[in-house]
Amino acid sequence: MKPSVEQIGNLLALKREERPEEGYWQDFLCEFHQRQREAAVKRWTPAGVWQRTTAWFGELGSTKWLYGAGLGYATIMAAFLLIPRPADVEQAPVVPVKHQVVPAPAPPVEQLDELDLGPTTQGSVGEQVF
Amino acid sequence: MFSQPQQPDPDRELVARAREGDTRAFDALILKYGDKLYGLVYNMTSHKEDTHDLLQEIFARAYQSLGKFRGQSTFYTWIYQIAVNLTLNFLKKRKRRSGISLQDPDSSVKDDPALVDTGHASNPEQQSHLNQLQLKLNEAMRKLSDSHRTVVTLFDIQGMPHGEIAKVLKVSEGTVRSRLHYAHLQLQSFLQEWWDQRF
Repeated sequence: MKPSVEQIGNLLALKREERPEEGYWQDFLCEFHQRQREAAVKRWTPAGVWQRTTAWFGELGSTKWLYGAGLGYATIMAAFLLIPRPADVEQAPVVPVKHQVVPAPAPPVEQLDELDLGPTTQGSVGEQVF
Repeated sequence: MFSQPQQPDPDRELVARAREGDTRAFDALILKYGDKLYGLVYNMTSHKEDTHDLLQEIFARAYQSLGKFRGQSTFYTWIYQIAVNLTLNFLKKRKRRSGISLQDPDSSVKDDPALVDTGHASNPEQQSHLNQLQLKLNEAMRKLSDSHRTVVTLFDIQGMPHGEIAKVLKVSEGTVRSRLHYAHLQLQSFLQEWWDQRF
């Protein structure tokens, strides 16, 4: 013999009286407000922003693929427009290289100062004695 | 108790105030629907701590999403949708996480005062029999799938009409009736052996 659906329903209806203990909701509200305050502080940290972004994206359901594709397209287009292409780089005017070497003025030979050009060592005109 | 779709939302004013940042208005909504949602979540999870954590999450989610609430349904239906979705997700995660199922309920369930029918308190034998019956019923409930337990909880325990359950679960009324019929058959079957011994 099976219990009837009505009998099962009556038994289940007894569970309607299921309630938390007294004072539960006061503690619950305190904890709720505490958690909300903590969440408000955390909301603007980088981790919080990332968490909210991912949560928002997760809640989108099937439309997230549409948003994702749009975002991807926008990123690619932004990269295409903003990143300078090599051809666009302004080239500096070509300046021909001057190959004409201008010799630097020769420094005075210091050895000359050491030479004794006095009359004692001087021979006849045009002749030098070593 | 359950609002019809054409009726204005009795919580419209509280919701509007809460949306403007009046925390007391939201507290009033928590106190108004807290017991009902507690019964829903507790009967689905069979665990008091999980019920508490889930209720915190449900009300936090509702509070943060008040801006998205367009009033297309009543606040009551809307918060029930949040509660059912979060609880079903939680049950899925719990099963995946550690293999814990509702076969391992909170030990306090056995001593739950809700299982005691005060109408029979004067007759200990009858009370004991009723307690055993309730324990068997709890076991049978835990054997149901999450979706079947949900409709049984909403219909038989919470007393919600089929149409309202359909809105909360976002399925057709026929689906609700079908799930309920199947769940009742299963409960009958689970209880049959024990029922035969007793009656």
